[in-house]
Amino acid sequence: MAATFASKCSRVGRSLWGGLGNNLSGLLSASHETACNHFLSQQQRTFIQMRTVLKVVDNSGAKKVMCIQALKGKKGARLGDTIIASVKEAYPNGKVKKGKVVYGVVVRAAMQRGRCDGSEVKFDDNAVVLVDKQGQPIGTRVFGPVPHELRQKKHVKILSLAGHIA
Amino acid sequence: MRLEKCWFCSSTVYPGHGVQFVRNDAKIFRFCRSKCHKNFKMKRNPRKVKWTKAYRRLHGKDMTQDSTFEFERKRNRPERYDRNLTENTLKAIKKIDKVRATREAKYIERRMTGKKAKELREAQKELEQNISLVKAPALLKEDPSLTLPIKVKVSQKQPEVQLMEE
Repeated sequence: MAATFASKCSRVGRSLWGGLGNNLSGLLSASHETACNHFLSQQQRTFIQMRTVLKVVDNSGAKKVMCIQALKGKKGARLGDTIIASVKEAYPNGKVKKGKVVYGVVVRAAMQRGRCDGSEVKFDDNAVVLVDKQGQPIGTRVFGPVPHELRQKKHVKILSLAGHIA
Repeated sequence: MRLEKCWFCSSTVYPGHGVQFVRNDAKIFRFCRSKCHKNFKMKRNPRKVKWTKAYRRLHGKDMTQDSTFEFERKRNRPERYDRNLTENTLKAIKKIDKVRATREAKYIERRMTGKKAKELREAQKELEQNISLVKAPALLKEDPSLTLPIKVKVSQKQPEVQLMEE
């Protein structure tokens, strides 16, 4: 329980550092400082659950959202799943404002997802595209690479807006 | 189905193996196993890591230019299925692999020639210079069998063998 709390703290704290993941920051705070410099660049690779802060990669107006519920999945959301999130940070004039509760589709997840050929994919960060209840994206552009797992989840519109399909 | 190359060690990644990491600039890194993946996360440069193909090619340990490499270029256009073509291609792949293997072996052999003679010469020189570490120089004068024999063209004597007698 303490470990999950510490990991959650580290996850929230990491977003403040602009996505610089520190796998062991929460765990190291109590224990001794070890020279694990190369772990600093790693993103914590677990499910997207309550209090996970995600980056928004469309032009809907939000910058950062915090997950409040992962629809489908007891442990949390993964790549391609939908979540309910609360907008924590937004551009001043955008379609969504801070504090709004929105739905989102996870388009990039640091946790690896198995592909049907047996290999695994993982991305650099956790990113989300805001959608409405029907699943249509609110924004009109999507930035960065998106996986083609979205095709199976019937998010074809997001794939069509994407610049690069991984 | 496509056989990819591991980004770190340049070995082939067969379907069902490995991890694919997509960076936010949409560059895809494929790894054949977690060893390569972990080295990548440590930010090691494959050109400096001794066991990778990149290092070996860079430092001239392995063959770099050969006509057999031309057959393995990446082709993005799918070919129309033709049974004869497929059959011939499969036969050709086997033959080309064999030819490439023999050529690489020959390259390495050529690189290693002259090593044995060089080692022998170095051993002789070391014996001449450092015999005093093993036997006192005064003894050497008394017992001429311990010194190196004067090179006579008729008989090929191994000077190291003499030293082994003590």
